[in-house]
Amino acid sequence: MLALERLRGLRVVADPAALDAARWDGDPAEPVVLRFAPDDAFGLGARAVKVDDEHAIMEPEVGFVGAWLSPAALDDVLSRTEWPLPAARPALAQGLIAGVPAKLWLPTEGDALLLTAAAHADELGMRLR
Amino acid sequence: MTDRAAVAPGNAVGGRIVVDGQPIDFGPGDSVAIAVVRVGEVPARGGTLCLAGDCGNCVAQVDGMAWVRTCQTAARPGLTVVRHPADGLPTLPVTGSPDVTAVPVEREIAVRRVHVDVAIVGGGSSGRAAAAAAERDGKKVLVLDASAGEDVVAVYAGPTLIVRTPDGMLHVEPHETVIATGAAEIHPVCPGSGLAGLLTARAAERLHAAGIDLPDAVAIGTPPEGVPCTRVEGRLVRFEGADGRVMAVVTADSVGVETTTPCSTVLLGLGRAPRDLLARMAGAVPLRVAGSAAEEHPLPPPTTTGIVCPCSGATVDDLQVAWDKGFQELELLKRATLACLGTCQGGACLPHVRSWIAARTGEVPAPFTARPAARQITMAEAAADTWVDAFRRTPLHDEHLALGAQMDRFGGWWRPWHYGDPVAEYWAVREAVSLGDVSTLGKLVVSGPDVVEALERLYPCHVADIKTGRSRYALLLNERGHVMDDGMIVRDAETRFVLTFTSSGAANAEMWIRDWIDTWGLRVHILDRTMSLAAINVTGPLAGTLLSRAGLTEVPRFLGHVRAEVAGVPCHVMRLSFTGEASFELHHPVDRSVELWRALKDLGRDLGIRPHGLQALQALRLEKGHVIIGMDTELDSTPRRLGMDFAVRMDKPWFVGRTSLERTAKLPDHRRLHGFTMSGPAPMDGSPIRSGGEIVGHVTGSWASPLLGHVVLLGWQKRAPFVDRVEIDGREALVSATPFYDPEGARARA
Repeated sequence: MLALERLRGLRVVADPAALDAARWDGDPAEPVVLRFAPDDAFGLGARAVKVDDEHAIMEPEVGFVGAWLSPAALDDVLSRTEWPLPAARPALAQGLIAGVPAKLWLPTEGDALLLTAAAHADELGMRLR
Repeated sequence: MTDRAAVAPGNAVGGRIVVDGQPIDFGPGDSVAIAVVRVGEVPARGGTLCLAGDCGNCVAQVDGMAWVRTCQTAARPGLTVVRHPADGLPTLPVTGSPDVTAVPVEREIAVRRVHVDVAIVGGGSSGRAAAAAAERDGKKVLVLDASAGEDVVAVYAGPTLIVRTPDGMLHVEPHETVIATGAAEIHPVCPGSGLAGLLTARAAERLHAAGIDLPDAVAIGTPPEGVPCTRVEGRLVRFEGADGRVMAVVTADSVGVETTTPCSTVLLGLGRAPRDLLARMAGAVPLRVAGSAAEEHPLPPPTTTGIVCPCSGATVDDLQVAWDKGFQELELLKRATLACLGTCQGGACLPHVRSWIAARTGEVPAPFTARPAARQITMAEAAADTWVDAFRRTPLHDEHLALGAQMDRFGGWWRPWHYGDPVAEYWAVREAVSLGDVSTLGKLVVSGPDVVEALERLYPCHVADIKTGRSRYALLLNERGHVMDDGMIVRDAETRFVLTFTSSGAANAEMWIRDWIDTWGLRVHILDRTMSLAAINVTGPLAGTLLSRAGLTEVPRFLGHVRAEVAGVPCHVMRLSFTGEASFELHHPVDRSVELWRALKDLGRDLGIRPHGLQALQALRLEKGHVIIGMDTELDSTPRRLGMDFAVRMDKPWFVGRTSLERTAKLPDHRRLHGFTMSGPAPMDGSPIRSGGEIVGHVTGSWASPLLGHVVLLGWQKRAPFVDRVEIDGREALVSATPFYDPEGARARA
């Protein structure tokens, strides 16, 4: 069973240009920022962020769970995935995995991160067992 | 890099399989069909064997599975085969009386998915050449070879190739697809073509290579290479035989003089046709067809008599009868005669049918589109790796289970239907305090300089006058003025709101709102918090008491909201009411939900607290006459039909749906959702509502209210003029104003 653990950080929706220039702070000092959409970012482990957009929505985010995947574990997950991975790195890929909405963070090097909403955690874990 | 599944075409050492209850030997590399021929039998019935998977003349039941092509099935020790030589059609295995209520037990079919640059279907010379060329370009290549047990059964958009292998199903997602399946051999159509002992030339070569002698063999057309046989000249007229086996072949010369040649086996080199079934299945899926599969091959001469389609048994006479009735196109002729509709989808008969039509019209019809599956597959194989929608779980899922909840799926979520005693849950809400898990409600945060303008356009109620700290119930309409969803508009700040939606409508509402805001080009940010925030509804006359105990010092008044800590958990507290009692929705981070739930339960122990499920909630809302979108409503329900005009402000200059509402307001209406009361037990949801013996509508929800002492229900009248008395379940029901309970709303505001 895939061990999916809660991910914590900050979620920010703001003008894309302001998000591009956002300054994140947290643990680690420069958190991994997952860009879900041009105007939507999730700073993993982020505790604070400065964004030049007075209407930006900034909320603590605890609604996702995830697991870091070795290359072999990633291959196993991809065997349940209909879509191909993007060639570029780093990249955030999003789609159904074993029929469950999920995301894959593919860094330039090292393990990949599988994310899904906490509400889907049990279902995804069961389907990927 | 070439990635080939490691599938051996046959057992390496040989052994024994069981055919019709009798063990027979097979040799190394034998298919089931070759093993059967090796002992002097035929795998299914007579008819020409191609041993290449193109026809249906070798299908049998293998290991309990019907319609298996034995020529494509590797023999392995212990494999059981059941033939049906009488008609060649294996029956489906049914033992005893099937229990139709039982959960079907299917083998779990393993599924692998692979993503490659190039998928090549066919391992022959063309396929190998295509693979080599792609590999030279540095591409990741996968060759799928039917002779290696990799049977491509379908090509879908994507593209996705569905492949059956001995190890389970393989779903291939290639960037490029090459169909290099080669060519199939033409089958004979003439009297006697159903006899045993007929082989295509390449089938003969395969048997010869497997060490099987073909005694008294004669060859017609292009003879097989390396197979001892006597060549017979002339046009094929018919086969003659006895006991189902061929004994002679009759040919004719150019002037029609017939010659009979005795034989035990006939080897047929009658030409070839592209094996392009997968290419014809692809439709708009981009792919390349290579080699013989892409070539034009001469059609066989038009047939004059005999069975055209060995699968369906359609004859040349059947073609003529249908033709004379006007079915004079390939697609029509196919449907009228069932030719080309058998297990091989025209693999054996399509060239003959095209040739037969061409002889009558002067034009060769294009081959028809092929359909998945190219091979018979089981339901389990077809459904492998197909998942039902993922139903979400709230963070309180395990708490509900621990409390004995009966869980069910509603609106895309697992939700508690009841905790064992829905009536007690109902009374807890009416007389004490109760907790409901409403984490499933949709929750959007919207913010931006144009947010008020956007919401004014999206909603039929006024928005600008909602004060910070206040909220308003709102409908969401489509352009036709039909109700899509409902929820609350909660004002957080001058340019920031929280919008809530129904559990089942939330995802659609979010897309709807994003789409309109994009269309209008308004500056509004949107963040969906549905799965990041949980929500607990604290409801009942003692709800305020409970929340005070939990540390809520500022209890918001009706339709107000505050941000405060409750039992140490940061909450957005919204006061509203769906149950008819004082209600507070506590929106909070999902990771604190269990902590909050347990604290509220502990603090309310002496207040008679208990959780309520959806069954009690249905009862509570019915007493208030509250409509549930999607349950009481239909796709074309307008606010007027629902009696919800109070939520629409036609004094606004424009909102989505206004134009339609303005137009339809002038038209007579024949549908209305009514409240009804009646005595006796509550009718079932969906029960017909009758007037004068005619069905005029149906019940959408009902409840025998212990508090009111009678049944309350919502239901449709769909015939004008609307009447005040109807009949439901043979009893009288009266149209009654809603709310049935606390019509002044005093309890909700208390």
